[in-house]
Amino acid sequence: MLSFLLKRILYALPVLLIIASLTFVLVRLVPGGPFDAEKNLPPEIVKNLEAKYNLDKPVHEQYFLYLGRLARGDLGVSYKYVNRTVNDIIGDAFPVSLQLGLIGLTIAIFVGVPLGAIAAVNRGTAIDYAAMFISTAGISLPSFVIGAGLIFLFGIELKILPVALWESPQHMILPAVTLAFAPAAYLSRLTRASVLEILEKDWVRTARSKGLSHFSTIVKHVIRNALVPVITVLGPITASLVTGSFVVEYIYAIPGMGRFFITAVGNRDYDLIMATTLLFALLLLLTNTLVDIGYKFLDPRMEVEG
Amino acid sequence: MNLGTEPPSIDWHTTTDATSGDVIVNVMSGLTQYRQDLTCAPSCARSWEVLDDGKRYLFHLRDDVFWTDGKPVTAYDFEYAWRRLEDPKTGAGYADFLNDVVNAKEINELKVPDITQLGAHALDDHTFEVRLKKPAAYFIYLTAHWATYPVRKDVVERYGDRWTDPANIVTNGPFKLTKWQHDYKIELSANDHFFEGRPALDKIKMFMVAEQSTAFALFENDELDYVDNRSFSTHDVDRYRDSPYYRRIPLLQGSYIGFNVLKKPFDDKRVRRAVAMAIDKSIFPKLLRRGERPSASWIPEELPGASPDATLPFDPVKARQELSDAGYPDGKNFPTVALLYANREDTRLVVESVQAQLKENLGISIALANQEWKVYLATRRKDPPPIFRANWIGDFPDAETFMNLFTTGNGNNHTRWSNADYDKLISSAAGELDMAARARMYKQADRILCNQEAAIVPTYVSTQNLMVKPWAHGLAFNALDIQFLKTVSISEEAPR
Repeated sequence: MLSFLLKRILYALPVLLIIASLTFVLVRLVPGGPFDAEKNLPPEIVKNLEAKYNLDKPVHEQYFLYLGRLARGDLGVSYKYVNRTVNDIIGDAFPVSLQLGLIGLTIAIFVGVPLGAIAAVNRGTAIDYAAMFISTAGISLPSFVIGAGLIFLFGIELKILPVALWESPQHMILPAVTLAFAPAAYLSRLTRASVLEILEKDWVRTARSKGLSHFSTIVKHVIRNALVPVITVLGPITASLVTGSFVVEYIYAIPGMGRFFITAVGNRDYDLIMATTLLFALLLLLTNTLVDIGYKFLDPRMEVEG
Repeated sequence: MNLGTEPPSIDWHTTTDATSGDVIVNVMSGLTQYRQDLTCAPSCARSWEVLDDGKRYLFHLRDDVFWTDGKPVTAYDFEYAWRRLEDPKTGAGYADFLNDVVNAKEINELKVPDITQLGAHALDDHTFEVRLKKPAAYFIYLTAHWATYPVRKDVVERYGDRWTDPANIVTNGPFKLTKWQHDYKIELSANDHFFEGRPALDKIKMFMVAEQSTAFALFENDELDYVDNRSFSTHDVDRYRDSPYYRRIPLLQGSYIGFNVLKKPFDDKRVRRAVAMAIDKSIFPKLLRRGERPSASWIPEELPGASPDATLPFDPVKARQELSDAGYPDGKNFPTVALLYANREDTRLVVESVQAQLKENLGISIALANQEWKVYLATRRKDPPPIFRANWIGDFPDAETFMNLFTTGNGNNHTRWSNADYDKLISSAAGELDMAARARMYKQADRILCNQEAAIVPTYVSTQNLMVKPWAHGLAFNALDIQFLKTVSISEEAPR
């Protein structure tokens, strides 16, 4: 296991470097810069600003300066939010997205997986159709529609939940449900397909013929084996949920980091774009590593390879 | 209230953002302040003298103005602040505000390295002297703008970039900054020692809700006491237009269609005039539905110098005639041009209307070029296309802020238009202290810009649309869109 983790770390470093380099180049190729505004700043003021942020140096020099800072854990400065560093911004926003993402993930798993399993076991029945209708709706409806619907129903009409903001645990319910909708739907469809496949296996028939109850067969043998593909997709789903959703954070006015994936690009806030991209990449690598470890627990015959 | 977005900074030297201004004007006071009608009233300065034919200002400061840590506000705080504004190291976006002050531009451009040479000095604790290169009739307005507010040197030097954090900042206005949850909420509390008296509100919560429908839902659920354009969609304006709680204020914000006069076919002023006369401006308010006002001149009508008829009137017959005179009878042989605009729903409606009107009234087909905001800005800055749609927001309540824009060499003059008569009029008007004569000069210049030369076609003036809860009193909105909250009170029927 230790050698597996070490290998993964060694593998992650060049991946992150490549992502950092590509992002660094791409953001600078996009027309428009951080100091472009409706009112053009006088050229001498732009010069002062570029000098202040080292943007007047040749690009390769900026690149090595950035990498040097990155190696020291300094994610740079924000050109938009001038009194804050990128470390400050991520430090404020990431815990919020992480909290909301983990709640959303929990809901997605505990709703999506049982829903898919129940649908599969009751294949072709009304229960199956109802479950698949819900999951199709969850995948097809964009989160801003779901969010607006939930706000209207629970916040404005019934007035039992806050319409937005991030003040108390109650305020987390609607955004977490909105966030969980699509991954829950996806997980349920995946679980259903996987359970159906496992149900056809010879060893399931053997287990049943040995007299094992239907319930025990499903829970002990079928679900456990059906979870392997589900665990596989949990890696990217987790990375995506805990780094925040632009739409959900936007419509519920939540101070998470999802918004920065969009606004940082719009503002040409170079260091913030780099930081959000690298954080997402890092979490993707981390969750994929956890997924590989998860395989080992689900099926001890599996070898974890670096 | 809802700010709509995180203020980029509340350091009044490093930000030019209106959202930052909403916070700054409520925690700080400058030499002067705007009255409701946007004339200047005393603030930290109890009076001022205009000397040497308008080239020297002497501000006499009150002795009862204190920072929130109890220290007195002195002329030295203004001296430090103005030097910091011009210091190239600060990188201040509004540094050019003080271009009329002796050595300001030179210091900012590093031509004068000694910052103490700036023509703004504290003569003693309560006297602040400003020397101008030439008289500037609008100068007093700049002393009410947040870019010229005082700053405490010891605080800036002690905390560096962190000096605006709630734990570090010291201010001198009606409210204190007590809490800042980034990208979420700012909280202000009443300053008990404010020199004009403690404000009525104990606390103000400024949320940063970006989504208009969410913010409006919060307003409907009584969690916001008022909403403005940031939280008020056109759909909701339509719904509440007749509500007793609905208000509308014209803003000093003008939109226009600009021509790059160095590029064909708009290098011929007859073509520009034809386009200007082929556009019926009365259509824009019907399309945008937020109470916009069709432009009669480039200077908004709230300002002295505005004319009721500086722009060319809608006249398709004359328009066709001018186009024909320019060599394009019925639009024949008119080259292909694309109208550049930034990707927004309201601007799209405007440019599509212009496209349709030019087709119908002149027989010419223009294409539309839609670009992402920063790409659009970069395109306009580096190589303005033959025709584009743009917007301008006045910084202070004077025609200068609109008219200087189209002088030769102004960095924001994307038309590349240059007219010696116009430049001379604007330069003379800036220094003219006789207000009636000054207004005449601006009227004349406005006619050159929009009528004789038609370098731009002013389209409409924007408005602020507001909904205010019946229990919120004293909200004083103005055309500069500065929201002072020191006069606000909440009556007891407010549900809390």
